[in-house]
Amino acid sequence: MKTTRVVFYSNLIRQLVKSDFKLRYQGSVLGIMWSFLRPLLMFGVLYLVFSYFVRFDIPHYQLYLLLGVIIWNFFSEASLTSVFSLVNKAGLIKKVDFPKGAIVVSATLVSFLNFLLNFLVFIIIFFLSGEKISATAIWFTFLVFLLFFTALGFGFLLAALNSKWKDIGHLWELLLQMGFWLTPVVYSRNMISEAYDWIFEINPLATIIDVSRRVLIFDDAPDVNLVIKLIFQVVLVLVVGYYVFWKRQKYFAEEL
Amino acid sequence: MKTQTAIQLSNIIKEFIIPHERYDTLREHFTHILRPRTYEKFRALDGITLSIPCGQFLGVIGNNGSGKSTLLKVMAGIIQPNRGTIRTEGTISPFLELGIGFQPELTGKENVYLYGAILGLSSREVKKRYQEIVEFSELERFMDQKVKNYSSGMAVRLAFSVAIQADADIYLIDEVLAVGDLSFQNKCFGVFERFKNQGKTIVFVSHDLGVVLRFSDRVIILDKGQIIVDGDPREVVDRYVKES
Repeated sequence: MKTTRVVFYSNLIRQLVKSDFKLRYQGSVLGIMWSFLRPLLMFGVLYLVFSYFVRFDIPHYQLYLLLGVIIWNFFSEASLTSVFSLVNKAGLIKKVDFPKGAIVVSATLVSFLNFLLNFLVFIIIFFLSGEKISATAIWFTFLVFLLFFTALGFGFLLAALNSKWKDIGHLWELLLQMGFWLTPVVYSRNMISEAYDWIFEINPLATIIDVSRRVLIFDDAPDVNLVIKLIFQVVLVLVVGYYVFWKRQKYFAEEL
Repeated sequence: MKTQTAIQLSNIIKEFIIPHERYDTLREHFTHILRPRTYEKFRALDGITLSIPCGQFLGVIGNNGSGKSTLLKVMAGIIQPNRGTIRTEGTISPFLELGIGFQPELTGKENVYLYGAILGLSSREVKKRYQEIVEFSELERFMDQKVKNYSSGMAVRLAFSVAIQADADIYLIDEVLAVGDLSFQNKCFGVFERFKNQGKTIVFVSHDLGVVLRFSDRVIILDKGQIIVDGDPREVVDRYVKES
């Protein structure tokens, strides 16, 4: 009757995702529509500002901006739900010993499902505006993996730290707002002086957004060195994040 | 066959740090460095060594604050002792402090499935046992309501019904009888009998000495985090009654 570990973990994560999904949209009239509305409204405002008020001259700016907003929105949503995920599940953590990493994985997965739905909207608009998908788009599937693990790595780190210091969640909300403007979401990298290039080079999200736009919108294969550097960064984030989480997890029941 | 040890605790020490102010924010962590530290250490478990053989029904009694709940939490692996080692053999289903950590915003049914997964049951297994869980808890009409609308007695009944379906080898049961009504208590007794017949290991914390006496193979008294008496239920309970 004893289930194997893989079955146990996948079942646990599935149940957590299910209940997180229900909890998120419970009691709201528009329900899952919110997961579309949030990035679309954000896109609308930014598009108005940077296309009419400030005139950015970036080709395909609608698609360019929308893709950036969707990717950024996933990262910000996933990391924010993760940072508070342990606090929200404190009742369970205090009552039973189970693999707590599953909580962060499921928080990230719920946001990832939203991201996939949002991306569907992007694809529809993409084809409606007469664009054609090219072979370089295959790179994007790989970038999506890296994006997921970046968010997961940050999620582990932030959730573990927020268990000990409850400031981390609030601090992260602020850092995300700053991060939004330090990442080429509304603008493009080459509009910025090369003196600040290092800001984008240490930011895996900047590279993910940049390369995603290149392979999807501009049919431009990415530089292999750049991709290798990105993989290295993502693995670093994931390893550091999980290591901290794994070291701290036995204290969660007392800290929360 | 059943001569192995289910739970082995060696010299367990658990201290809680009770700050006079809690340093929960980063600022406090920085500013308190400048000030003298003002916290006390509270030793909840003070050198517990205990060996529970498989299949034993162990009763744990003691006054409030004697460390009973902390002992169960350490056994369940929920909190870490400062010193000492724990070895457990087999799977554990804990039922601590009147609950199993239900999510108040989810319905009774959703909570059953979620907690089942945490205890290692597949959805199919939960589905198979679902009827039994509902019947045991007598909450047929309330399973689609949010748990936050349950009375405390209802929540405990449902929690216990799920916890006993876990197919575990070891059950840690803390004060389940405190809020249940008479018919629920009788059901619980039936479960205890069944577990004993199946050779499950049970650690049972209660203030109801009659029940402790009725089921236990062995009883310990905790006082200030130490085991002060350990032995035959009748003698131990008599002594506890005499001394308090």
